[in-house]
Amino acid sequence: MNALLIATVLMPLVGAVILWIIAPLGRPVIRVTALVVTLATFLCAARLIANFPAKASGEFESSAARLEALTQAQTTYASLPPDQEWHWVGQVPGVNLDIRFSLGLDGLGLWMFGLSALLMITSVLVSWEAIEDRPALFYGMLLLLEFGCLGVFSARDIILFYIFFEFTLIPLFFMIGIWGSEDRRYAASKFFLYTLAGSLLTFLGLLAIVFWVYQRSSGGELTFSIPELVAKLNEYPLPLSWQMAVFLALFAGFAIKVPLFPLHTWLPLAHVQAPTAGSVILAGILLKIGVYGFLRFSIPMLPEASAACMPWILWLSVGGIIYGALVSLAQSDIKRLIAYSSVSHLGFCMLGLFAFNPLGVQGSVLQMVNHGISTGGLFALVGMLYERYHTRKIADYGGLARRMPILALFMLLFTFSSIGLPGLNGFAGEFLILLGAFQRAWTGAPASLQNQYVWIAVLSVFGVVLGAWYMLYLVRRVFFGPLKEPHVDRGDHSGEVHDLNLREILALAPLVVLMFWIGLKPKDFLERIEPSAAVATEQVETMLAVGWDKDASGGRRPTGIASFGEVGRRSPSELVPPYEFAAEVKGSAE
Amino acid sequence: MIVETQTIRHLLPEVLLILAASGIFVGGAFVRGRRLWSAVALASYVFALLALALAGSPWNVASTLSGPIVVDPMSCGLRWLAVFSGGIFTLALAGLADKDLASEILGSLMLIVVGIMLTAGANELVLLLLGLELISIPTYVLLFLGRRDRASGEATMKYFFLSLLSSALLLYGFSFLYGLAGTTVIAGTPAIPGIREKLLSAAMDNSPLAALAPLALVLIVAGLGFKLAAAPFQFYAPDVYQGTTNINAGLLAVAPKIAATAGFIRLVIVAMPLAAEYAWQVSLVIAVLTMTIGNVCALWQKDVRRLLAYSSIAHGGYLLIGLAVGTGSVAIGSSASGGAASMLFYVLVYALATMGTFATLAYLGSQEREVSGVEELSGLGKSRPLAAAALAIFMFSLAGIPPLAGFWGKFALFSGAIQFAAANYQSREAAWFIALAIIGVLNAAVAAAYYLRIIGVMYFSPAGMTGVKAAGGSGALAAAVVCAVLVIFAGLFPAQLVGLSLKSEQGLRQNVVAVAESMAPRPGER
Repeated sequence: MNALLIATVLMPLVGAVILWIIAPLGRPVIRVTALVVTLATFLCAARLIANFPAKASGEFESSAARLEALTQAQTTYASLPPDQEWHWVGQVPGVNLDIRFSLGLDGLGLWMFGLSALLMITSVLVSWEAIEDRPALFYGMLLLLEFGCLGVFSARDIILFYIFFEFTLIPLFFMIGIWGSEDRRYAASKFFLYTLAGSLLTFLGLLAIVFWVYQRSSGGELTFSIPELVAKLNEYPLPLSWQMAVFLALFAGFAIKVPLFPLHTWLPLAHVQAPTAGSVILAGILLKIGVYGFLRFSIPMLPEASAACMPWILWLSVGGIIYGALVSLAQSDIKRLIAYSSVSHLGFCMLGLFAFNPLGVQGSVLQMVNHGISTGGLFALVGMLYERYHTRKIADYGGLARRMPILALFMLLFTFSSIGLPGLNGFAGEFLILLGAFQRAWTGAPASLQNQYVWIAVLSVFGVVLGAWYMLYLVRRVFFGPLKEPHVDRGDHSGEVHDLNLREILALAPLVVLMFWIGLKPKDFLERIEPSAAVATEQVETMLAVGWDKDASGGRRPTGIASFGEVGRRSPSELVPPYEFAAEVKGSAE
Repeated sequence: MIVETQTIRHLLPEVLLILAASGIFVGGAFVRGRRLWSAVALASYVFALLALALAGSPWNVASTLSGPIVVDPMSCGLRWLAVFSGGIFTLALAGLADKDLASEILGSLMLIVVGIMLTAGANELVLLLLGLELISIPTYVLLFLGRRDRASGEATMKYFFLSLLSSALLLYGFSFLYGLAGTTVIAGTPAIPGIREKLLSAAMDNSPLAALAPLALVLIVAGLGFKLAAAPFQFYAPDVYQGTTNINAGLLAVAPKIAATAGFIRLVIVAMPLAAEYAWQVSLVIAVLTMTIGNVCALWQKDVRRLLAYSSIAHGGYLLIGLAVGTGSVAIGSSASGGAASMLFYVLVYALATMGTFATLAYLGSQEREVSGVEELSGLGKSRPLAAAALAIFMFSLAGIPPLAGFWGKFALFSGAIQFAAANYQSREAAWFIALAIIGVLNAAVAAAYYLRIIGVMYFSPAGMTGVKAAGGSGALAAAVVCAVLVIFAGLFPAQLVGLSLKSEQGLRQNVVAVAESMAPRPGER
């Protein structure tokens, strides 16, 4: 399976190179080639997902052993043993540079991996007619972006992850800057710089983790492998002051990417200026890298700091939910409205994640996929509208359902998915997240924080209501009421506007299938998420549970940061400082 | 200074190049023509590379001291880099140099290359100074030859006087070192102690003279800081770069920086472990100042050479992060280092991208009219896709975006600082180095803004009224493409180069360890 995974990830890269070679052949050949590459990549990804172990095979003595085996199978799926991995940067004897091309899938990245492959097909199809300028460059960038996205969600090496993480910026920068709308140059630079500034701090945080482990581990081996780092950090946890610093460093990059309120200001601009395919991928995949980063790095590697920051992040999440929803209500531009709705929806993802219980975390991982489907679809639909009428103003439209019933049908479906109508995917995710939030508020909170958590949970329910309001309000204004069409003055559309054609329906249909699948049978998805999610949040959960057990903590109720050091893990003062060595050397010099 | 036949054999590539340069100077008086002399120069570089290759690969050369020079991975690696950059600049000049002056220009360039090589291998104060002057003096000539107008004259004079001043400062620092140690050899052996050993034993004897080491340090940092264009000695760079040709500017951005890096490593890290406590503080402060000034000032530049001048100032600041880490580890006696290695690796990736950038700009201009304004590049993505792609690669690399070489340069520097902090997390120094790393990454983000502006102009703007001529000749384009390929290759497979830089540092340390062991019994004997 590992070979297939590597092939899947590298396929778009090869495709991009091929596209640039065949660039002179013209647009029809180029876009067909791009479609073939994305389809092939998707088929490989689908096969990887189909083979993902959902049940432990064989006989087990107890259910615990069965779960253990399943967890083991899921967290190491499609990965190689460390000594067989490819040292892609090269290896020099005697030099400690153990950066590996280490790929693998687990429950956290599996679905986003698949969704990345799927949304790329949609992106190619929605760009079919829209991109006329330099098509080879465009589709090449699209495939490079796919390469980056697939890599991010399957990297098991911290440096490899970071390289993919930053690499995604380059193709999208060009996509926004070259094929975007009128203000594209500014939007592209703002997007790039805002994200880069955050992710460079993240880079420092990741380095701090790596070198902390390196300085502490007995073998003196510099490892960049994520599973090894997590394991070693359990042995040699960072002292709390370092954890907070590293958490903040990681937060800088991931929270901007999410984007967590109030760091979202780059998002609406980038979305509005980006070409349709860019918006679809940005909303559908790239934003999730932030949530995924929290789940993959911050929470398992820095559990004490995560727990300490929990109330803050919950408040920011719910702030984003409410703020994004209210701002969406006030928008007059369809694309901007959906962009702000992303702020609100991603708030839900973060809320579920930082509720730190199985319900919330699973809901959050599922909601990442749901948001990718619904918002990706909505952006694609807006792009289709824009292609027909060349305006994004809500006020220019009205009663389009009569003119374009198929488009209206899709719009309604994606809207219902977005607002969480039962039976569709959005419901499964949001419901789990809200359950998680309420569970945290009622049963898992210390008394000092309980009030806050209840408020957070209740406010987030208001977010759901607001979400239904702004989306339905949008649909009503654009698709119902008296027919109102903007004047089409481009020569190539001679006044007559057609409904969706087969290509456009095919671009959206797979998303609709997934929508119903997740909505009606979320178990298929959740059982592949659950074990990995449990592993990722295990530390924090037990810490929160034990930490708030009054008997276990000697009757003292943890009130703040200081208390977390006592729970289960070795406190910083017990660590042997490597400093002794330095002192020795210094002493001998004097 | 004892020169043996052994030493001459080690210096064979330098000797070859000096002879070739003299031949080009003399021959140029009789035969004119830039194609001929470019070909001769390129052939000489190839022979020099062969001579270097015969001496053994830098990866597994054993550290040996021979008279005034040291042969170790660092000196070998830097000599390769020097000859390579000579070749790149010669290629770029092949279609651009003034027809009547080609031999003088190419000969001076070759002397500069020899200067870098001598500096890289010097283990002796006089030879080191000689190497640095061999870089400076032909540079004055080149600056005059490049273009003859008022701005060029001003730039040359400015550079000339400031360079003299910096040499004087450096020499003053050297005189203190000589007075302290009584020798001009930098790192010696137990039999022939050098400055390093003498200073260490002076400190062990509690000699009051050791207190003068920080003074020497400050003067040397100032002198070398000028070569690196580090604050507060950076003022000349923007004016001088703007007033000269693109290729000269590229030479100014690369050659003195390589030499200064070698100088800093030999003089500050190796020669003066005693002053390390001061050295890391000085270099940390200068690093922060230099990169911040460079990056912030670059944001508003409209002239592309001025912009790149500020960018090269900023990169000098990044290099000093490595110096701070290296000297910090010496000061605290920490096992964690990588400071010198990261400096060497960084200067390599910086030199590749910078040479490529200026070669591309030279290609885009013509002998009569250089590319100057950033806006002149607009629409280049469509009109000159190859040159634009190369320039974009260099810009992304200088900005440190993966998977290009520049990313690994930043990786090496920042991981050095973070590793130092993680290893000594309870010391008060740790906080300083974390702050340094944070300021460093924020600077990298600021820097991305102006690099992106250049890319944005090339790809996102429609072609302007005044398109570029792109009459720099195929040589310049070839030089740019070679650099671009290397930047990508070093970005994808950096391990060999990172390994070489780490080996270089180990080579330095091997000397150090050997010396420390042999010195240990000495106080007991007395």
